[in-house]
Amino acid sequence: MLDSERLATDSKPNILLKGTKEGLLLLLNEVVSFESLLEDLSTLIHGEKKSLFEGPDLKISVDYGERVFAASEIREILDCLAKRENLILREWGPSTAAKLSLFNSSRKFGPQTLLKGTVRAGQRPVFEGDVVVIGDVNPGAEIVASGDIYVLGRLRGIAHAGFLGDWSAIIAAAEFAPMQLRIADIVSRAPERDGKPLRTFMEFAYLKEDSMAVDKLDSLHAWTAMARQSS
Amino acid sequence: MGTAIVVTSGKGGVGKTTSTANIGTALALLGKSVCLLDADIGLRNLDVVLGLENRIIYDIIDVISKDCKLEQALIRDKRFEHLTLLPAAQTKDKSILSPETVKELVGALKELHDFVIIDCPAGIELGFQMAVSGADRAIVVTTPETPAVRDADRVIGLLEKEGIRNPHLVVNRIRPQMVKRGEMLDIDEIVQVLAIDLLGIVPDDETIIKNANKGEPTVMKPDSKASLAYRNIARRILGESVPLLSFEEAPGFWGKMKKVFGAK
Ligand SMILES: Nc1ncnc2c1ncn2[C@@H]1O[C@H](COP(=O)(O)OP(=O)(O)OP(=O)(O)O)[C@@H](O)[C@H]1O
Ligand SMILES: [Mg+2]
Repeated sequence: MLDSERLATDSKPNILLKGTKEGLLLLLNEVVSFESLLEDLSTLIHGEKKSLFEGPDLKISVDYGERVFAASEIREILDCLAKRENLILREWGPSTAAKLSLFNSSRKFGPQTLLKGTVRAGQRPVFEGDVVVIGDVNPGAEIVASGDIYVLGRLRGIAHAGFLGDWSAIIAAAEFAPMQLRIADIVSRAPERDGKPLRTFMEFAYLKEDSMAVDKLDSLHAWTAMARQSS
Repeated sequence: MGTAIVVTSGKGGVGKTTSTANIGTALALLGKSVCLLDADIGLRNLDVVLGLENRIIYDIIDVISKDCKLEQALIRDKRFEHLTLLPAAQTKDKSILSPETVKELVGALKELHDFVIIDCPAGIELGFQMAVSGADRAIVVTTPETPAVRDADRVIGLLEKEGIRNPHLVVNRIRPQMVKRGEMLDIDEIVQVLAIDLLGIVPDDETIIKNANKGEPTVMKPDSKASLAYRNIARRILGESVPLLSFEEAPGFWGKMKKVFGAK
């Protein structure tokens, strides 16, 4: 297990954030008081993690499960969401298609991009869905994707997978010597040797109970089958 | 119509001006007509390295603001008739310079020369943008130190954005003894990170400093290692395949070099 830390401190959030093919999915807690739910929603969207919600139009779905709302409460939630103009509410309901798609074992987060060439220092490409880099991610470069990141070369910079909050995203590389890894809102630094990131081969990083773990790529298949079916 | 090559690095002090002067002079030695364009506006020193400071009357700003004709501003080198320098301005208002006007100027210089070698300022700001705007090719200079390599990597990314696809690498100030002791990044490592073609390796050589003080490019003195390195770089620019310089001090070095190049 790597030395990792969370960007936010709350360990049991009242709102779970998931990335899906159709954008972001917010899963609202079914039992907490409306006040704390609304407060958490506001913090989520406007607070520390607000960068997840910035940028171009972002589709979101809100799933409240068994929760029962008063009409005025619904309005307050929608008002809170409307404060971010780029948010487009796709679905609102007790069992949204977005939530059901999470249970679908063949997970696919929208587009998959092939990036040929070197990602160089100072560059920060951002991808929707998964990205496969045919080349290196150099020190000082950062690559960001809402899905998985696969580097068929040397990963020596920063990789941020699942940046919209997808905890099941992974980061894999042929040569694995990252400066820093991020999956959803978990950050981790690779162990160092002689002041340089430790270099390993054919490995992938994933989240395991709020912290990051690294394993050999040949166990990816087994891990995918287990982790993604149960999510 | 000639070729414009910008010499750039990101990091300051790694040897852009030295390389511009020496590569340009070496190309002139090989019979090419060459213009050296000092695009390090405000901090000009290419003229000093070439020993031409006292001949400057007009500069790049005078040309662009049409205060003089291009031919009037070009300073002919003492040693080679077909080697010229267009100096940078030191004090004048440089607001007239823009990537577009510099590009036009470089175009005009290409009409008159086989090669236009552009000495780029350090950094990646406007000065960099102007210096690369008219270039067809680029030479990225780095030294075997992590910060310099990092900046070189940034610059290669920016060059790609400007449409300069295949920059070539010069690693300057190599000290074979330090490489051998593992105290310096080795060429292998640098080429691997930057993933561009290696044009040459220049040893750290005190004759470079001595000659810069005398205003005489080192390539004029055939006996120094740095001189040979720059001459070889010029020949490679002309398309010759010249094996990499071997440094006697480091026997293992040569083998490694061949591996990088795939040379036989
Ligand atoms: N191979 C070398 N061996 C020894 N000294 C060198 C070598 N290359 C450059 N130098 C010295 O290093 C100093 C900086 O070189 P130079 O002016 O060419 O760098 P630069 O990249 O143009 O700097 P700037 O960014 O300030 O324009 C000079 O004093 C020069 O003489
Ligand atoms: Mg200089």
